Amino acid sequence: MPERIRSRLRTCVFQDLQVLEYRRALDLQVDARNAKIRDRSLQDHLFFVQHPPVFTFGRRGGKENLMKPDNFLEQQGIDMVQTDRGGNITYHGPGQAVLYPVVDLERARIGVADFVYGLEEIMGRTAQDFGVAITRDPRNRGMWTGSRKIGSVGLSIKHGISIHGLALNVSLDLTPFSWINPCGLSRVAMTSLEQEMQISQKKDIRVSMDAVKEKFATYFCRVFNFQLIRETTHA
Amino acid sequence: MKEIDDLNLPEDVKYTKDHEWANAEGDTVTIGINDYAQDQLGEIVFVELPEVGDTFSAEDEFGSVESVKAVSELYMPISGEIVAVNENLEDAPELVNEDCYQGGWIIKVKSSDNSEINELMDKAAYLEMLKG
Repeated sequence: MPERIRSRLRTCVFQDLQVLEYRRALDLQVDARNAKIRDRSLQDHLFFVQHPPVFTFGRRGGKENLMKPDNFLEQQGIDMVQTDRGGNITYHGPGQAVLYPVVDLERARIGVADFVYGLEEIMGRTAQDFGVAITRDPRNRGMWTGSRKIGSVGLSIKHGISIHGLALNVSLDLTPFSWINPCGLSRVAMTSLEQEMQISQKKDIRVSMDAVKEKFATYFCRVFNFQLIRETTHA
Repeated sequence: MKEIDDLNLPEDVKYTKDHEWANAEGDTVTIGINDYAQDQLGEIVFVELPEVGDTFSAEDEFGSVESVKAVSELYMPISGEIVAVNENLEDAPELVNEDCYQGGWIIKVKSSDNSEINELMDKAAYLEMLKG
């Protein structure tokens, strides 16, 4: 797998943004995409990041799935951002591994549906490396372990170039997910890699975010046929 | 994704680099997304339509299609005023997948510059771009 994705070999600039506010990370993606729309020969980008706590809404909304008043979130210091990605409401916070590919899907010869499938595959292989078995649900996309959701995908495509991406719960505090119906689904339990490993191995386990980052980078290259150029300077 | 040779690309419409099709009858132009676009997007779950009366320039964003977890923008092949939108897509967005050139049309536009459509690609030129 995934033989269905027969892409062209491409190079991509990989950058670890560490912990960065959602809006700033979004600006970086939008700027990179706009530059690529003007000049299609520019390289693709892959950003790895964790965000301070933030709720984000999809193009078609999601605020109706926020179960707390705005002032409650303000008191908690949690931002809310309307985006143009697919999907519904979600939460990002420290301890969640986020990967944003700014990729010219046209030039890479990757269909949008295959790209979503491949991003899920990256999360699935990563989780499996930590001993957590992952399933897909064709009706409710994202990645699941049993009936609990562990990862999400959402993309925006302009002129064939993607922004946004995937988010895998590694070690984050899951409490804020209880304030929403994640992805617009009611009664969905969220989970994380560490929580699942603690359940199965019955002891406290810490997952290194650097290890997750390296697995994301490795599987991104394998799944989509990319070579990475590592950018060491901070954004 | 389909092989390029398996794509359904009618001879009697024009194509854009963003994979829309446009078919002129007088100065009214019907617009949708083509077989390549619907195939690579996958199952379309929502089509965001403009309002009748809206005016756009060529290459403006006029709406979007949401396939599962991905929102893709739609671009005007030509300049003009929206004179009709396919309201069937509100309840049946899958028409774009099932019948992209007939039942899955998206908008009709009164062209403000009849020369623009002649600048779009015919099937042969579009195929050449895809293979490029």
